[in-house]
Amino acid sequence: MDMIGIAIKITILIAYAIIGTCTGLLFMGIGRKIVARVHNRVGPPFYQNFIDVAKLLSKKTNISHGWIFDLALLFSISGILLTLLFLPIGGVQLLSTDGDAFLVLYLLAIPSLGFALGAGASGNPNAGVGVMRALVMMLSYELPFVITLIALMIYYDTTSLATIVRMQSINGIKSWAITMPPFMIAAFAADMALQGMLMEQPFDIPVAPHEIASGPMVEFGGKYLGSLMLYKAIALVAETTLFVDLFLGGGVVAHGNFAFVINFIVWLALIFLLFALSILIAASFPRFRIEQAFGFYWKYEAIIAAISLIWVYIMVIK
Amino acid sequence: MLDIIFAELVVAAIITFFVREKLAAIIAFFISLLPLLALLDWASNYGFAIINLGIENHMKIYLAGVTLHLAITPLSWFFALMILPLFPVIMLYSYSFFKENDGFFALMLLSLFATFGILLSRDMLSLFLFWEMMSWSSFLLVYRSKDKNAIMSYLIFSVFAAFAILFGIIILWHENSSLLLSDILNISGKLGFVAIASIITGFAVKAVIMPLHAWAPFVYSKCDEPFVAFLSGGLSKLGYYGIFLFLFSLKGVDILQNYMTNVSWNYLLAVFGALSAFFATLIAILQDDLRKLLAYSSIGQLGYIAIGFGIGTPLAITGALFQAFNHAFFKAILFLAAGIVAYRTGKWKISELGGLAYKMPFTFMATLFAIFALAAIPITSGFASKWLLYEAAIQQKYVFIAPIMLIAGVGAFLYSFRILYGVFLGENRHDSVEEAPKSMIAALFILVLPLIIFVVFPGYMLDLMKPALQAAGIESIAHTKFAIETSLAKYNSIAVLITLMVAMIPAFVIYKARKHRVTSFEDNYLAGEPYELHKPAMHAANNYYKPLKKVLLPYLEPGATYYFEKIYNGIKCVSNAVRRIYTGYVQDYAIYVVLFLLFVMGWLIWI
Repeated sequence: MDMIGIAIKITILIAYAIIGTCTGLLFMGIGRKIVARVHNRVGPPFYQNFIDVAKLLSKKTNISHGWIFDLALLFSISGILLTLLFLPIGGVQLLSTDGDAFLVLYLLAIPSLGFALGAGASGNPNAGVGVMRALVMMLSYELPFVITLIALMIYYDTTSLATIVRMQSINGIKSWAITMPPFMIAAFAADMALQGMLMEQPFDIPVAPHEIASGPMVEFGGKYLGSLMLYKAIALVAETTLFVDLFLGGGVVAHGNFAFVINFIVWLALIFLLFALSILIAASFPRFRIEQAFGFYWKYEAIIAAISLIWVYIMVIK
Repeated sequence: MLDIIFAELVVAAIITFFVREKLAAIIAFFISLLPLLALLDWASNYGFAIINLGIENHMKIYLAGVTLHLAITPLSWFFALMILPLFPVIMLYSYSFFKENDGFFALMLLSLFATFGILLSRDMLSLFLFWEMMSWSSFLLVYRSKDKNAIMSYLIFSVFAAFAILFGIIILWHENSSLLLSDILNISGKLGFVAIASIITGFAVKAVIMPLHAWAPFVYSKCDEPFVAFLSGGLSKLGYYGIFLFLFSLKGVDILQNYMTNVSWNYLLAVFGALSAFFATLIAILQDDLRKLLAYSSIGQLGYIAIGFGIGTPLAITGALFQAFNHAFFKAILFLAAGIVAYRTGKWKISELGGLAYKMPFTFMATLFAIFALAAIPITSGFASKWLLYEAAIQQKYVFIAPIMLIAGVGAFLYSFRILYGVFLGENRHDSVEEAPKSMIAALFILVLPLIIFVVFPGYMLDLMKPALQAAGIESIAHTKFAIETSLAKYNSIAVLITLMVAMIPAFVIYKARKHRVTSFEDNYLAGEPYELHKPAMHAANNYYKPLKKVLLPYLEPGATYYFEKIYNGIKCVSNAVRRIYTGYVQDYAIYVVLFLLFVMGWLIWI
């Protein structure tokens, strides 16, 4: 690759990072609107989150609790951007063409860990409790999620996300994983896991505004809270994209000259649908207690995921 | 050269027993560097060529009519590379750790002597002799803890392991009429199966594979921390060295397979490893004692190595050896850091600690790095090893083991954060605590180095283990300096690191755009009220994973220890019954004699 090629690639990378951030913020705004309509309220305008972030980032008073607290800001933004850039978006993977699903799973842990460090360093017990809840939730939803992930991996005989997307895009929509019966079951389990990953109700246990005063975020303000909102926006895009890549062929429907644009729009539509689904579930259900959520994932969801895994295993060894 | 090193180790061990503590530490430090010289010497002579020295080049010790053969092999070179650097570091650390010289350094040097001997043994007899020497020197170190559970459990399990290994070796010697490890085992059928299985069981005790782990939580949580760092970082690897030696170098896996072809014995080892990883992780999450938590986490992380050996493909074995290397370093850091915390505060319970990060920033940084490696965050070398193991499980379509490994990996986040939050973050409860002495900090950061080097260059690690693998007939997997490639995917470490650094730029811009003010958490959270008023209600680290505990505890309660206790009680009953024979009355003994005579007479008549 020559210098111009590298320059173009870097430009695209920056563009994707900005698009990812803006999409996330926009979705969050629309999500607030949807919830308001379900609750029969008017709700804030859809661009409210842009205003919020701009306000928070430009605040003059910022309270820190030392350098470990600052790690939350640094790691949450950089870690989630890193994850986003390693994901195939609309069939195009920007970095590490043989990118790997395990790598993405562990990259997703970097911002959460940074966030958790900052929350812990604030010394507020509510933050500690919130992180504990977040970690227990993570242990809960990861079980069904990794089982479905392994089902996909042994079916396509690869751990590379790029390959999984490529193999699902051979015949357009017809070759998407979700069209196969075992993966329909798996997709259901993975979507429930996604609900927990997005921390939406009934799994918003970690933030639980009325119980533990927003949990991990309780001591964050100003630029710290602003950066966490940015993190949440990008995480929303990254997590839904992961689901789309795994089950919906990465949104790839077209091949050819303008395929890039079409696939990009389809990807955008798909992640919006997923997000809207999760918001609608969130608007209609109350919060679980943490033991209930754990039981839900490790009993029912894990069994559903295991059925799909066994089904796929039988298909593969035949 | 080897004989000089051996002699010096023994002499130094004797000298350090008698001199004052600081001098003993200095002598021990320099002497423990000596074996590393032997490794350097080997590397400079042979590079990374696969050379198994012929029998004529072995160092020989003639002992009561038998010959002990000692030589470095590619396999022992690689294992020495992960175990031996721990010794000088531990000596450096112990320079400030111990107030008085009560024999610790002498015993550690003896352990080093025995460890070096085990790695160099080229025949089963010397392997067994050095193994016993290592068991006994470490037993004396365990004995210093004065804890009955630790001492008894370590003694019983060590003796069991020794008998199991000896039993196997005797069968092999009887059938093979050669003790040399360079000879191919010429044994098959039931005897071969029993011999190999018994040897693997023996080594599995030191490798703490469940259910033979029951001694580890007691011993790890009661002994001196520098010793525990060696025990978890180094000694457990010797168990895996033995398993590797007999399973792959001597092709024991074929012997097992030929006897019962319908059972996959490898798979069984992998299942035990996976169960170790899973259950030990869940138990570790619920511990409040820092040392117990680290002990169970150690069992869990070592389980991954067993999984790798169990899967047995080149990919899996590479991953297992990589994991063993990483574990030696990050677990040593964690135990040593736990030792520092106790050295400064005198407390072990996580719920009684808190807020030490700002008091001990360097200890915290080293711990944080070790925890990144433990939790396989891709900014340390811990990720590459776990990744290789996951890939191996998917490649073989092991649908039972793969999810268990992955979920144990997630569980590692939970107990890692319990250490970080409970000990280093949260409420500050120790105003007068200082940073650890410089020698301790230096020890921690020396151990961090390999974790950084091998995340940037994971390929170098594969280069280092290549001779060991090829000597055992296992092909090495495709890699470059920065990237590892498998049939399923590719991991490029440098791409991750550079992107992370670039992605730091926007984060840094946001961070620097506005100024911030640092306030103590009391001002913010308590709004200026006196801290003393809120003290009892403040500590969230107390009973941290309470909801999880409520759900999991009923399932975890009857653990392996329960069954070992049943066995213990059974043996106690039998022994008590046997003891009743010795009543202490002469008449009873006279009756025994008469009965015995009657029995003999009856037997003679019957014949």
